[in-house]
Amino acid sequence: MYYLYDNTNEVTPMERMMAALNGDRTDRVPCHLYPRWSSLEFLGVTFKQSWDDPDIYVKAQILAQERFQYDCVIDYDMMGPVEEAIGSPLKYPENDVPQIASPLIVTKEDMKKAKWKLDPRKNGNMPKVLYVIRRLKEELIKRGKGKQRVPIMTWGSCPSRTAACLTGFKNWFLLLAKDPDWAVELMELAFDGWLQMVIAAWEEGADCVWVNDPVSAGDCISRKHYEQLTQPYERKFIEAIRYHTGMKVIMHPCGTWLDRMDLVYQNQADGYFLGPMDIKFCVDTAVKTNEAGLSRVKCINGNVGAATKSTTDGFIPLPYATTMDKGTPDEIEEEARICIETVEGAGLRSILGPNCWETPNTPFVNRDTMVYAARKYGTFKK
Amino acid sequence: MNILEEIRKLVYSGDEEKALDLVQKALEQGLDPQDIMDNGLVKGIQDCGAAYECKQMWIPELMLAAEALKRCLLILKPRMAAAGAGRSAGKVVLATVQGDVHDIGLELVGVMLESAGFTVRFMGGNVPTPDVIEAVKQDKPDLLGLSTLLSNTMHVIPEILKILETEGIRDSLKVMVGGAPIRQEYCDEVGADGYAVDAVSSVLLAKKLRGLD
Repeated sequence: MYYLYDNTNEVTPMERMMAALNGDRTDRVPCHLYPRWSSLEFLGVTFKQSWDDPDIYVKAQILAQERFQYDCVIDYDMMGPVEEAIGSPLKYPENDVPQIASPLIVTKEDMKKAKWKLDPRKNGNMPKVLYVIRRLKEELIKRGKGKQRVPIMTWGSCPSRTAACLTGFKNWFLLLAKDPDWAVELMELAFDGWLQMVIAAWEEGADCVWVNDPVSAGDCISRKHYEQLTQPYERKFIEAIRYHTGMKVIMHPCGTWLDRMDLVYQNQADGYFLGPMDIKFCVDTAVKTNEAGLSRVKCINGNVGAATKSTTDGFIPLPYATTMDKGTPDEIEEEARICIETVEGAGLRSILGPNCWETPNTPFVNRDTMVYAARKYGTFKK
Repeated sequence: MNILEEIRKLVYSGDEEKALDLVQKALEQGLDPQDIMDNGLVKGIQDCGAAYECKQMWIPELMLAAEALKRCLLILKPRMAAAGAGRSAGKVVLATVQGDVHDIGLELVGVMLESAGFTVRFMGGNVPTPDVIEAVKQDKPDLLGLSTLLSNTMHVIPEILKILETEGIRDSLKVMVGGAPIRQEYCDEVGADGYAVDAVSSVLLAKKLRGLD
């Protein structure tokens, strides 16, 4: 497939994606599907099959990228390998990502059960995730005839998410209300495991990283709790990744964060992978915080599934992503147009994508449409 | 402030110990347990639901209030049963569907339904579909509440409804649905009996479906 590039001056997905993460333009807006299900469904395998044989996962990522022509591949992200190595038991469904089977830490006494100092190359299933990154790198270089043409994105869990996985979400929320000092202690301890994992992923060949926090959204905790308790650890995590690896970082505030986007942008990520939130509101807020010198937002990733007419006031709670799954190609194209024009029109770089994980069984034609829309509406005039 | 009003405020603020003390004090003063429930505890948790809706309260505070309510229910329920009051408004089975672990909201629904007089079996999150069917067969509930927070597990709800139909037990109960991606249109489309947007409205819906409104 990539021999095509050799005889042209076409920009590669790597150049396109990295430029956008740096705030620069190339030929067009990149498109990133967070293609877990695209790849597995294209190959016709379940998640468990790809987990039991990591080479199947690598094959799925490579072949699906060549089929759909989006601009980034991903590792096994959102997997919980660090939480598992700390001590949380995971269960492995047949066709879904592993889930925490039961909370590891319910009482302070349980803290003794946790293994906080981790070696990503030795503990639990972390080496398996690193193997996938290493193999992706090898395979991409091989298929690119000596040059890596498609970037690899890895993933890291913000300390608040990690802590919530260890305690269970219900206990985590109770902890924030009852014993915030303990919550802070947990985030301090949970911080290093994922940082080491991301550093190791970079050493194995990851080119960029996304981090997420689903437990500090506006419908979960108050702005005050966010500002005082969990946000400082998001920012610390992002800054530590940048310091140790130099990788570009995208943060995904998962869910609805409209009352705190000004704070989210101060986490100093390079880009933000927006959840189901009004694109105009989020872009305007990013421009304001950038102009005030409070943030360094270069690109906005997302958020097809949310940019509908009913959400233009920026405050109406929105349903989760359904356009990619249930919508028509025309609807996807229109939402993609709104996203690209809103972001690029404000002087930020757009990375087109869904507003959360693409859902399983999304029609292939809808995935194709998003890549098509990136070309149709996102090509820059020379 | 009268004692019921105080209980209401203590539930709202999630002050478990003080709420418990005051419920005990109210019982010692001879107040009707049903009155304490309806005009103290339930009103307190309803205030929480309203505060959550208008972004004055969030999950940690809601969880604290629910914990306080649950503790108080433990001492009130036996008294209500002994007094012949508190006859169950109906049996409810609640489950978050397979593939989705998010059950915090559903737990609040359970607490609210329990405080409204329903007998609740809370199955938690990521409940395998066969377990839901088995629970319906065993418990013979009046209502089945299904929730999902994730759009990619929405398809499980119609699957459960279809199995209930195939097994010939669909007409023996009413099915309520809820969760972040769920809307009334979806409820109509899949053939559920009702949709509730939050915990407070789930009680109103449950009563309506049971003909108690």
